[in-house]
Amino acid sequence: MLKRRFPIHLFPLKSIQSNISLAFSLLILAAIVLTSLVSFQVSVTTVEKNSKGYIEEIIKQVNLNIQSYVDNMENISLLALTNKDVKYYISDNSFISAEDRRTYEKQISDLFQSILYTRKDIASIMVFGYNGRFVSDRRITSLNPNTDLQEQEWYQMARAAGGKSVVTAPHVQSLIKNEYRWVVSLSRELKSTDGITAEGVFLVDLNLNVINDICSNINLGKKGYVFIVDKNGNIVYHPRQQLIDSHLKTEQITDVLQASSGDSFIVDNEEGKRIYSIQDTNFGWRIVGVANTDDLITSKDDLRNSIILYSLYGLVIPVLISIWLSHRLLMPIKELQSDMKQVEKGNFNIQTEIRQMNEIGQLGRSFNLMVSRTKFLMEETIQNQENKRKSELLLLQSQINPHFLYNTLDSIVWMAEQKQHEEVVLMTSALAKLFRASITKDQELVPIQVEIEHITNYLLIQKMRYNDELNYVIDIDDDIHSYKTLKILLQPLVENAIYHGIRNMYGMDDGVITIRGRQSGDQVVFEVEDNGHGMTPEQQGRLLLNNDGDSRTQGIGIRNVNERIKLYFGHEYGIQIKSEIEEGTCITITIPKLD
Amino acid sequence: MRKQRLTLWLLLAMMVIATNSVFYFKILSGPSHEVRNVTVILRSSNVRLDFWQAVNMGAEAAAKEMGFTLNVVGPLSESDSDTQIQLLEEAITRMPQAIVIAPIMNERMRSALSKADEAGIKLVIINMSPDKLPTHVVVSSDHIEGGRLAAQTSIEQTAGYPVIAMISDNANSIVSEERLQGMQRELGGYKNSMMGVYYADNSEDRAYQIAEKLIRSKTMFNTFITLSESASQGVARALKEYDRVDDIHLIGFDSSSDEVQLLEAGIMKASIVQKPFNMGYLGVKTALNLIEGDRTDPITYIDSNVITKDNMFTTENQKLLFPFINSK
Repeated sequence: MLKRRFPIHLFPLKSIQSNISLAFSLLILAAIVLTSLVSFQVSVTTVEKNSKGYIEEIIKQVNLNIQSYVDNMENISLLALTNKDVKYYISDNSFISAEDRRTYEKQISDLFQSILYTRKDIASIMVFGYNGRFVSDRRITSLNPNTDLQEQEWYQMARAAGGKSVVTAPHVQSLIKNEYRWVVSLSRELKSTDGITAEGVFLVDLNLNVINDICSNINLGKKGYVFIVDKNGNIVYHPRQQLIDSHLKTEQITDVLQASSGDSFIVDNEEGKRIYSIQDTNFGWRIVGVANTDDLITSKDDLRNSIILYSLYGLVIPVLISIWLSHRLLMPIKELQSDMKQVEKGNFNIQTEIRQMNEIGQLGRSFNLMVSRTKFLMEETIQNQENKRKSELLLLQSQINPHFLYNTLDSIVWMAEQKQHEEVVLMTSALAKLFRASITKDQELVPIQVEIEHITNYLLIQKMRYNDELNYVIDIDDDIHSYKTLKILLQPLVENAIYHGIRNMYGMDDGVITIRGRQSGDQVVFEVEDNGHGMTPEQQGRLLLNNDGDSRTQGIGIRNVNERIKLYFGHEYGIQIKSEIEEGTCITITIPKLD
Repeated sequence: MRKQRLTLWLLLAMMVIATNSVFYFKILSGPSHEVRNVTVILRSSNVRLDFWQAVNMGAEAAAKEMGFTLNVVGPLSESDSDTQIQLLEEAITRMPQAIVIAPIMNERMRSALSKADEAGIKLVIINMSPDKLPTHVVVSSDHIEGGRLAAQTSIEQTAGYPVIAMISDNANSIVSEERLQGMQRELGGYKNSMMGVYYADNSEDRAYQIAEKLIRSKTMFNTFITLSESASQGVARALKEYDRVDDIHLIGFDSSSDEVQLLEAGIMKASIVQKPFNMGYLGVKTALNLIEGDRTDPITYIDSNVITKDNMFTTENQKLLFPFINSK
């Protein structure tokens, strides 16, 4: 149900550490991407705004420069306007004779020449009277016969303006023979002294170099340029005029005409994003500066790159830190987890380390409590089981093998019938001692001395039962007599040696049971050896196997002896069987040396 | 143990990043843009040759527009093929991304050009008939169209009855052949309009003699079309001397300063003027397109203008006739 309700998990990764790292990283990524984008945008807008202002300033400067040139030309025209010689010369009166004309021409020409000397940027200065006379800055001027004065734009414009100065677009001046110069012409109609009658046209040609230099030396970035249009939108100057004429390029003339002086706007088309900045001159030209934003903001790519770079560091470093932090944060949980795995494997001796008493610390404390409690309970259970088993074995120990008892009593009866009183007494007292030892419950551990007495009594009874045909040797070192052992340890082994070893031999008197005891290091080792039938490996195994069915008839079997030793003394002690068919069997018991 | 190892690794990673950042930033903040590198080899770099200077200007304009600087070279003489080949070979060793060249064609030039091809340099051929180097990208004036314009002008000026004497330089000139083709195409519908083709071998006197002979021969014809400047000069001289300026139309090609004066004086009735500025501009632009891997037309034709006395001082034509602000 829950799964269906949330098919997409908030934290998809397996470990909490990865989830925390991922969540942190995503948060950091989002934050950094957002701030980077915003700061990039803000920087770009700021730079654009600054560039706009910068271009405006430059264009203002260009405007001022061009304006000052035009103003200069206008001042020169004023000079001509107010010059008496000029006025006289072009005035429509006949009082100037042919000789006088030469003098006037010379004077005016000298005046123009002196102006020209001071101004390298002026190509020529000329005056054309409506009376057909003309003077230039040169002594001898040969006009181009193919050029019709009346058709010249500057001439027509000056006449139309009626006394105001006009400025033409750059053009090739073909007035003088064999001379074709690119100039900008300022012309002005000259009035007579009364100020009404028009008497001629004054012309100053400004070398286009000047405007060209002003415009082309402007640094508006690698691709930036300056162009000029007149108030009708005709291009006055454009560095790529030929391309525009050939329609290889277009210019934003309409937008430029719509904008007002001092304005700037941004055009963004296939040629890139460009800023247009416009300034009006007072003689009708519009000066437009164009700058490519990518170019002005030369660092736009760099800006973006460095922002990307810094955000990358800003991303990687916090991500590493977040991995580290989540690792640090989750380390106690991981330790707890590995400790829990140890417990799963069965190691209850573990106590997890508690660093801080926070939630995880409390969890660890609870875990420690739980583990120690479990350990205590488990130990208790084991103890209980052992005790139960011990008492069971004790019960078995106290039981008398009924066959043995029956046979022994049978033997006693038989001996009594034969009037063998001494033997009856001996056997009966031995049987009594045997049973006393079995029945006594007060002590589990007895000195080896007692155990020797017990086994001696047992063998005595058996020997008497088998008409002295049973041969045995008890060879136990005297110095171990005082050490403690479990009681009735050897009897089941001897019993086994008799019943399964030598009883069914062809000649029983050939069989010998040897019981040895000695110390070895801090251990006591008993051996019960017979030279009887021996056992197959399967029989040997069965002897020590936990097979309850046999224990009824066998009394306290070898298995029980082994079990008792291990219960009392630990698993390193116990019974070992060595046997070969038709050779005999040797059973070794190892117990600790106990005082 | 484990936690300390992770901390150590993280510290190491941070140190690596920090050192890298210093280096990377230096690389990024350096000249990160690929520097475009184009060499233009003109037929001549002589400042007196307006045509090639205008090509140069156009090339520079394209470079300025794209924001990089060009390397423009060329021999002093228009026929110095050896120097041009040497300049091309020098350019190849500098390994520019593209070379824009107006080749003086011969076999050695052909092998030098294929050397540039082998070096992986993009080649743009300017001012050369595309038939000559069909495997290359060509930007050139359309001479067939130029010839067609000349014929068209003559038809207009003779009110539909042109009888043309054509004075070419020599029979091997490809440009002249193409112009002739264009003219013949246009004159197809006018019977007997082509009186004859004469060769003046680039000599003004030879052209003068041919014109004189034709004028004296009393043959009825009304148009001279001259394919070279020297021929125009020679014919103009003959027309002036025999006072036939008004009834025999002279239509020429190109615009030397002498030809401009002939136009102005009305001796030459029209001139078909190429646009060398546009050729330089489009040559470099095409080279850039090749570098960028954009689609490029194998042939870019540049049109010509018909210039007469009436329109020679319009804004557009002024720029064609007088391309330089400082000239004359």
